[in-house]
Amino acid sequence: MNNKLGVYICHCGGNISDYVDVAKVKQSVAAEEEVFLAKTTMFACSDSTQKEMIEDIVANELDGVVVASCSPKLHLLTFRAVAERAGLNKYNYVHANIREQASWAHSDDKSGATAKAINIVKAAIKKVRFAEPLTPIRIPTINSVAVVGGGLAGMRAALELSSLGTRVYLIEREHFVGGRVSQWDSLFTTGETGKELITRLYNELTEQKNITLLTGAEVTGFSGSIGDFSLKVRITPRYISGKCNPGELKKAIEVCPVGVADDFNFGLTVRKAIYHNFPGEYPQAPVVDLSNCNRCGACEKICGNIDFSQKEEVIEIRTGSILVATGFDPYTPADGEFGYRTCDNVVTLPQFKRLIDMGEKMLIFKGREIRNIAYIYCVGSRQAEGENKYCSRYCCTSTIYESITVKKKFGNIHNFHFTRGIRTYGKQEILYDESSRQGDIYLQSYEDDPPAVTGRNGKAVVTINDILTGKRELEVEADLVVLVTGMVPRNDNPVGSLFKLPKGRDRFFNEIHMKLRPVETVIDGITIAGACQGPKNIMESVNSALSAAVKSYSYVSKAEMELEPVVALIDRDLCSWCGACTSACPFEAIRKENESGKPVAAINNSVCKGCGMCLPVCPVNAIDLITYSDREIESMIDALA
Amino acid sequence: MGDSGKKNARILVFSTEKISDPAIDMAGLLKLHYPPTVFTIQVPCSSGVKPKWIMLAFEKGFDGVFIAADGSDCPYGESCTEKTGQIVTRTHEMMKVKSIEPARLRMAAICSVCSEAFVKQMKTFNEKLLKMQYA
Amino acid sequence: MGEKMKEASYDVLVIGGGIAGGEAALNLANNGLTVLIVEKDLSVGGKMILLSKVFPTLDCSACITTPKISEIARHRNITIFTGSEVRKIRKKNENDFEADLIRHPRYVDAEKCTGCQLCEEACPVVVPDGYQFNLVGRKAAFIPFSIANPRAAAIDIESCTLCGACEKACPPGCIDFTQEPEEYHIKVRSVIIATGFRLFDPLLIPRYGYGLHKNIITSMQMERQLAPTRPFNTILRPGDGKVPCKIAYVLCSGSRDASVGNPVCSQICCMYSIKQAQLLMGALPMADVTIYYLNIRSFGKGFEEFYEQAKGMGVSFVKGKIGKISENPNGDLLLRYEDINENRVKEKVHDMVVLSVGIVANRDVSSFFGEGLLKLDPYNFVSQPDQLLRPAKTSIDGVFVAGTASGPMDIPDSILSSGSASAETISYIIGRNE
Repeated sequence: MNNKLGVYICHCGGNISDYVDVAKVKQSVAAEEEVFLAKTTMFACSDSTQKEMIEDIVANELDGVVVASCSPKLHLLTFRAVAERAGLNKYNYVHANIREQASWAHSDDKSGATAKAINIVKAAIKKVRFAEPLTPIRIPTINSVAVVGGGLAGMRAALELSSLGTRVYLIEREHFVGGRVSQWDSLFTTGETGKELITRLYNELTEQKNITLLTGAEVTGFSGSIGDFSLKVRITPRYISGKCNPGELKKAIEVCPVGVADDFNFGLTVRKAIYHNFPGEYPQAPVVDLSNCNRCGACEKICGNIDFSQKEEVIEIRTGSILVATGFDPYTPADGEFGYRTCDNVVTLPQFKRLIDMGEKMLIFKGREIRNIAYIYCVGSRQAEGENKYCSRYCCTSTIYESITVKKKFGNIHNFHFTRGIRTYGKQEILYDESSRQGDIYLQSYEDDPPAVTGRNGKAVVTINDILTGKRELEVEADLVVLVTGMVPRNDNPVGSLFKLPKGRDRFFNEIHMKLRPVETVIDGITIAGACQGPKNIMESVNSALSAAVKSYSYVSKAEMELEPVVALIDRDLCSWCGACTSACPFEAIRKENESGKPVAAINNSVCKGCGMCLPVCPVNAIDLITYSDREIESMIDALA
Repeated sequence: MGDSGKKNARILVFSTEKISDPAIDMAGLLKLHYPPTVFTIQVPCSSGVKPKWIMLAFEKGFDGVFIAADGSDCPYGESCTEKTGQIVTRTHEMMKVKSIEPARLRMAAICSVCSEAFVKQMKTFNEKLLKMQYA
Repeated sequence: MGEKMKEASYDVLVIGGGIAGGEAALNLANNGLTVLIVEKDLSVGGKMILLSKVFPTLDCSACITTPKISEIARHRNITIFTGSEVRKIRKKNENDFEADLIRHPRYVDAEKCTGCQLCEEACPVVVPDGYQFNLVGRKAAFIPFSIANPRAAAIDIESCTLCGACEKACPPGCIDFTQEPEEYHIKVRSVIIATGFRLFDPLLIPRYGYGLHKNIITSMQMERQLAPTRPFNTILRPGDGKVPCKIAYVLCSGSRDASVGNPVCSQICCMYSIKQAQLLMGALPMADVTIYYLNIRSFGKGFEEFYEQAKGMGVSFVKGKIGKISENPNGDLLLRYEDINENRVKEKVHDMVVLSVGIVANRDVSSFFGEGLLKLDPYNFVSQPDQLLRPAKTSIDGVFVAGTASGPMDIPDSILSSGSASAETISYIIGRNE
């Protein structure tokens, strides 16, 4: 029992003290018998206050500390470290949140906020009385990282991890790596093509001995915890073995009678059931898409390497950390949204990029040469009505770059940009300048008065009340309308629910804190990178991939890792083994053991996650969760009541 | 400033560290107001709340208890909603024995960004408890 | 740092102790590398520690920065030189850089200083306070700001009259006018440039009349007025100390404007202005806040929602180009602007104008390395020769760049870029070990 406590109440530079009378809080809690000293401070987290706390703890031999300040999500660890530096066990520190849950929540009621803060601090004092020194549980870690997603971010992260000396499993669901970037031609800034970037990465990847690349591989099972995760990965074969004779293979593809919309070209073209992704794909081997194959056997007769006897297999990977880089989907407009699918000459931005790449001398769509192009921005982003409230960030720059490229490549093209305000942030602004100088026309409307697309004589007519010309109604007869579609979270992304990654309001995976812990998730040991976390351009994706890589690396690079000692604790005298706790435990952390002839429940501390699900099911109340014991919680209830 | 003379029900909320407590924090961040007589105790997971804690809260004078459950977002497993529900059912039975109205214990899933939902829950629960003439 | 150690070696030299340099240093130190941070200012924390709250979460900036800064300051693998500058860096061979540094005297023994501020009280000299962006004065003996790290006094020797009052007042006797600049010669294996950015100087746009009209301030001056360590306890206009009630923001002040030498977009001004507008609505509930803009660039995670939130709170957004700002006799300001929605020139009176000044390159870096070795981009930011796949790489092998030294960025992007630079640095050093 700790009864020489120090309590610090933070002003938070006004964030707390503007609404909570901190002097009054101090006065009320100082009267508690266990409190040896109580102080207010402008910034509890500042270095000078931290030093002062350490001096107080040492000089007065305090045995417990409470800081009442902001949310524990921000500073619990800060003050635990203070306790440690003062020679106190870090679990003898308890945090009281009087900012988010008192001063800010009740900024409309100062006396209510103050009264609540007093109760909150008193409850923390009760809790710290019962705090016991704990030592972290040490577990061995596997020095490897599984990177889920073999697009640009995943490949880049895998390479970095490999050069940091970590073993990497790069798991790609498709049969080819490179993700979205492999679909892009020339790229803004360096002018390299997406394929060139992927080629560079792939060539470097294959040189590394410590990277295992799995394609056609989908994560289907997940268990374990930081330091020792176990993944089940289902691998779909290519149904082609060894090296094929290129001539035979070409013929085999030709004879395939099946036609499927080619995802690589966003459905603009048709591919066979046996197909190449694109010339120079990685790995450089075609694949039989069994879900669309009608098993006619025509290809088999031509090419002996086609092998339908290959079987799906499930392998298990054990890894210390997981880096999720599953990317995004381009937004698919609804039928009729700006003429999509209802008007003949309407494509999305990704389709347009493929059209430019595929066009040789002329830009052709549906057999007709394209001269006038209308770009409608913010389709599927910044929606007033729909659920995508966010800006997709990359599309303004990408569209302007394509509009410059299309002019350079084909000449004689007129670009009309129907925008909601151009967002070429940073140095990308130069591109916007260049586009304006080359004679592109920019028009703008707001979300309440979007442009409209109608068909007329085989052309698409885009009308707008252009605010840049005093809301004049203008119309453009376009050969092609490009819907500038943004990024949306992947529709089909089972790893999100498998790993239980939380999502933000935008439905992308969410980091713990945008500025403090931008690549970590609430699931210890799992980091996120690239556009699965939110729209990003290539450079931004790579920066996040490398940040996630260095974070995952720091989890696994030391042979051992420390885990929180917050685990369930069985009272072996009370327990008479009924098994209810075992069935309640989601982690198989409880097993039956013999205690001098009597069967009792026993907790595996390195597997127990400290969720507490076993607590309420015990018929004899023999289980406590460390730091949430009955006496701690019950004394808090008493203090709050 | 606010009308602190107004009587509000005293409500104990069991929030969860990774899911519902961040939402309650965010309610503060967004200055979405709710009665200052709402107090939280954080636990790792809503399916780890012991019925005896809830009963103690009523005994000590709380008018209502609210479990801000993890729901389907629970980082510990899909069974969370069901298990939290069972805790509520069992506690309701214990409340019956002591003649405590079951309506004084509520549970709802509060996701990590459900700040508005939380505030709405607190306001309606408060109103309800006041109408029942608790508090 | 007692004895004069003129030579030392570290794994990595991080130039700049702002949030980018600090984050990079922490990543390196946590992975076992030794780091020297050289910071030219008297405190680490850069610009971020001086901000009010940060968009789009409205977390208090000090609350995020200070724990990071304390962690950096007490990390056993990190050494910090504040008030210090890099003179020259030479690359000796693959794995070996030599750097000449200078530590300017603080005239205070920072280890002994308790931050009691008695020297400040005693000092008779008052000069403009640079950390408060000249909104108020400070003494020649001063603590930079209340959450500075180290929180120790310093003597501004340029302004000091050498009267000795501070020496007499100092209880631990830590003021020492005999301190001299110290030169260091250090060896490192890799370098991270995290020298940050400078704010655009609004005097370069004479038609706005900054410096002439007293009630025009920069966004950084407003940031200080809103910060927890603010100079006044409310928002005041500097001309007459009146609480303003019609505040205008002029976006793109010195950004997207080739005529003032900065054609690029500064990437942060829209968002910090929207944030300040929201904070002002809270601080001054009766005030009107108008933001004059060309395009609102709320592109990041949660930014668009934050922009919508500001509109919902009643911030007015006017799509318009500011022609000229003139001053009325009562200190109010007349804005002449082209209202783009209405397609005509209009005028409006505000009682305070905030110029949302942009980011420009910190050109100090070009002098660190030999002539022309460190390549800069056309806007004088550090050039990124492999921008798409290795954004932290510079034109010198073994030298990496983090944060806004390579171009405008917001805080989350700076932090990610620091992660990127630290990953590259660790790999570089591991690669050279083999």
